[in-house]
This record gives sequence, structure tokens and C-alpha cells, in this order.
Amino acid sequence: MVKTAATVNQPLRARRRFLQRHAGLVVTLVLLVLGAIFVLLPLYWLLSTAFKNGNDAFALPPRYVTKPTLSNFTQILGGQFAHYVLNSVIVAIGSTAVALLLGVPAGYAFARSPVRGAKVFNTWFVLAYVAPPVVFIIPLYIMYQHLHLLDTYQGLILAYETGLLPFTIWLMRVYFNEVPRELDEAAWIDGCSKMRALWKVVLPTVWPGLTTVGLLVFLASWGEYFGALILTGPHTETAPVAVEGYIGTTFANWSELAAAGVVLVVPALLATIVVQRGFVRGLTFGAVKQ
Amino acid sequence: MSGQLGLEGPGPQPELLGQPSRRPPGPAGRPGPVRPGPARQVALRTWSAFDRKFFRIAAIPAFLAVFVVTVIPFLAGFGLSFSSLNSVDNHVFPPTLANYKTIITDPVTHTVLLNTVIYVVAAVVLETGFGLLLGVLLASKHRFVTGFRVIFLLPLTVASVAAAISWSALLNTSQGWINYYLGLLHLPQPNWLASSAAAMPSVIITDMWSGVPVVAVIVLAALIGAPRDPIEAAMVDGASAWNRFRYVTFPAIMPAVVLAALLRTVAAFQQFALFEVLTGGGPGLSTTVINFYVYQQTIVYGNVGYGAALGVLLVVVMAVPLLLLFALMRRR
Repeated sequence: MVKTAATVNQPLRARRRFLQRHAGLVVTLVLLVLGAIFVLLPLYWLLSTAFKNGNDAFALPPRYVTKPTLSNFTQILGGQFAHYVLNSVIVAIGSTAVALLLGVPAGYAFARSPVRGAKVFNTWFVLAYVAPPVVFIIPLYIMYQHLHLLDTYQGLILAYETGLLPFTIWLMRVYFNEVPRELDEAAWIDGCSKMRALWKVVLPTVWPGLTTVGLLVFLASWGEYFGALILTGPHTETAPVAVEGYIGTTFANWSELAAAGVVLVVPALLATIVVQRGFVRGLTFGAVKQ
Repeated sequence: MSGQLGLEGPGPQPELLGQPSRRPPGPAGRPGPVRPGPARQVALRTWSAFDRKFFRIAAIPAFLAVFVVTVIPFLAGFGLSFSSLNSVDNHVFPPTLANYKTIITDPVTHTVLLNTVIYVVAAVVLETGFGLLLGVLLASKHRFVTGFRVIFLLPLTVASVAAAISWSALLNTSQGWINYYLGLLHLPQPNWLASSAAAMPSVIITDMWSGVPVVAVIVLAALIGAPRDPIEAAMVDGASAWNRFRYVTFPAIMPAVVLAALLRTVAAFQQFALFEVLTGGGPGLSTTVINFYVYQQTIVYGNVGYGAALGVLLVVVMAVPLLLLFALMRRR
């Protein structure tokens, strides 16, 4: 058979036709792969370096496959770092508890009753969120010096409420607004006291929202850096501050630093998997629902 | 994690109970008149009693706490901005405008302001642009694409300090992976964090790592929630893909895009961890933005009064783009 140009180019043409038909998808996937590399590279570095020994961590070209070692974790958690992680846990749980205890009833009140001056409070909460922490934290630092609240858990937790409490009230109101008033009313007609109606009827209905808010608040205080840097001391220093302080000092190498980073990242990752449904609502203060 | 990013479970819908949940307000802010049966009247009476007592008790502690931790420090900071309080001088009185005069005349402040504008504008524009693109790409229902959604959710959960450590290792000039890869491709290897030309772009790229996914996730949620009918109608009418996006889809998700830009603007002005870990404001002044400068002046150098005045400047500078974005959101 005589090979003509047409028969030679047949596979090429088929490929071209395929590309033309699926051009949109191909471009999309190429861009997404590039984006994914950008997003995953630092996470890959962090995870892989945390399980390398010091020499492998510094090696160029990068050693992608090494025998994993836990020595970095035993090293850092055997030292002071465990104490700092515990501080982070205490502060994160404490500030989440305070935010929910004060913020949930306030969010309920905000959603249900025509509070006079609701507009003023709205504006104030938006401002409290928008305002940069330096504006609150640094005056608090000076006030704490006189009140002996520097380097205490309660001082740091109180400072965190500057952002967390407005956020909790705001988002809980969004969730309470979705529960029809008729539900509360029906409970009262059936003879529930007001407290009981809130506790037994309304709260179970907003439970998914409540856990979302709780976890988002927990995440925010878990990873918070600026306030902790300024308001903590040797006793209450939290893990993010400690990690930053180790750069170029106690930790001799990157692999221990990376292990500390992994300790910071993993709880947040787990928490996010739990709340992923509510994540976007939290990000947008309930403005974007899905 | 499933591909359905952030989809809400079915909550109770007000319509299911036959009445819209919020009645239009009547006089004096009370729920508007409904001609109810006796049971409902009892309920309404109970509501108003409930309103007065229980709600006040429920709301007051939180409002008090917010007042204590926001209003008082803010006013204290504003007051301090008129003082010359620093590590050697304890005088708060008499108040003067000296700090504000220094701000206006000091060339360092001008550089810091310029850095802030460059950083915020670049970060917000790039993150909103790329985030919009990424969100639109991720909205495709193809099963190859939905698998990517979870990847772009990851940076949202990573504490800023951990991200900064990772990037500072990757961007290290002699030991970092990025310059190694660039070397393999025979591309120039910039001195990322240690040269005044590349430091600010490096911080912006690092900020994009967490910022672009935030915008993308919000855009994606808005796209999933957008009504399909107008898009299908436009398709039937033979509108091109670009025109469908430009005239139908984009207007529908516009509020979400503006909101995302607003959130990123706030985050850019508040960014601290990246500057502290990656560059420490340097080399020289090249990555010193106002937020970081306030910290340096107050905590590092002990110039409390001057730092407080810079804090006031920060609030004023932030107000301009935020008011614009709020106005844009309100108009829609």
C-alpha cells in the first residue's frame, strides 16, 4: 500500500479533533494542575521534611523518598514545645467556650427580638471585625501591664474575644434566623418554659450551625499569632509564637521546624474536614449560603 | 471530603410551616399584626414578655464584653496617639499633635504608606482575579474537575505561621527548592526574600497562596447557588460562552466577588505573620507596611504614643477602600 500523506496523518488528525472537541476541559485541567502544584508544594515540603533527618532536609536536589523518621517529633515534643502546644489547646478551648457561652444567647436575642439599636450594634460588630488587631492589642498590652494580665491565659482569651465574640454573635444570628419563630412559639404553647424551649427545641435545630461556629472559632484562636506574640510570656506562650521563635535559634534544622509546623496544621485540618459544609458560610459571615 | 464543597444540609424552611418566619414589623418595631387565633395570641403575648426580659439578659453580657475588649482599647489607643509616651518618657499629658506632625513629615512613613498601598492593591487584585478564574474553573461538573475542589480548600485551614515557615524554606536563595527548580529550567534564580526588589513580590505570592483559594471557594459556592434558568435561556438563545458569563453568570455572582474582595482587603491590611516570619519588614524598609510598622514602633522600639498615632493612620487608610467596597455591595 502506498502511504499517502492523509493516512500518515490520520492519528494526528484524530488527536486534533479530540483536542478541538475537549479544548475547554483540557485547558481547565492544565490550569488546575498548575494551581494544585502551587497549593500543594508548601504542604508537601512541610509534611515530607517533618519526617526527614537533618541531612536529607537540606539536601539538593530534594530527596523525595527517604526513610521516614519520627525523631523530629520526639525531639520537639520531648522539650518545651509540648508545653506550648498545651498552652495553645488551653487558650483555644477557653476562648471558644467564652465565645459560645456569651455569643450564642446574644445571637439568639439578636435574631429574635427587635432589639433597639440593632443597627448600631450591626455597624459596631462589622467595625470590630474590620479593624486591625494592632488597634486593640497594643492598648490592651499597656492596660494589661497595669492589671497584671500579661502572660496569663485569661488575658489572652479576653483579648481574642475582640474578634471572636462579634463573629460568633453575627454568625449564630444567621443560623437562628433560619429557625422559624413558630417553632419557639409552638414549644411554649405546649407548655415549655422559655429557657427549656431554647435548650430543648431551638438549640438542637441549630446544632450543625453551632458546631460550625465553634470549630471556626477554635481554628481561629488555634492559629492566631499576633495577639499571642504580644500578650504572652514564658508561661503562656502558644505554639505559633514558639514555632516562629525557633527559627534560627533552638531548632538546629528545618526538619524539626517542619515537624512543629505539622503539629500546628494537623488539628486544623481534621477540624476542617468535620466542618467543611459550613466553612464557606463562616468565611462569608453567612452571606453566601452554599 | 466530597466534591460538594460547603453544601448546606437541608435546614428547616420557613415556608414549610405555612407562614413566613419574619412578619413585617409593625409600629414600634414589634412584629406586625397578624389576625391570629387564640393560641397564637397567647404566643405573641409571651413573645413580647420574653423579648423584654430574657433577651436583655441573654444579650447584655456579650455586648458588655465586646464593649470592654473593643471600645475601651480603641479609645485608649486614640488617646495615647496624642501623647509622647515611650520607653524613656512617661508623660501622657499635655496632649499634643507632635506624633501626627511626625507622620506627615517623616519620609519613612511615606515609604511605609507606599509599601502598604502596593501590597494591598497587588494582593487584592491578583487574589480576586485568580480566585475568580479558579472558582469558575472548579465549577465545572466534570468528575476530573470536582476532584480538585478539596485540594484548594487546604490552604484555608493552615495556620499562617506554618505556611510562612514552609514558604521561607522553599524560597531560600541557596537551599530552597524553588530556586533549584528554576535552575533546572535555566531560569534566573532571584534572591527572593533577601533583595529589596524581590521581597515584596515574594510576600505577595505567599499571601496569594492562602488568598486565591479563599476567593475561589466563595465564587464556587456562589456559582453553585446561582439560578440555572437564565443561563440555559441564554444558551437556547445562542449566546456564546463568554457572553453567557459576561452578561448572565457574572452579574449573578457579583455580590459574592465583591464580598470576597472585601474580605481579602481586610486580611491584607491585617497581614502580620508573613512579614514577621518571611522578611521582618526588610531588607531595609522594602516590606514594611503600616500594620507591621505599628508593631515595630510600639513593641520593638517602645514608642507607644507614636505607634498609637500610626494605628489611627492605619484605620484611616483602611477606611477608604473598605467604604468603597461596602458602597459597591450596597448598590447591588
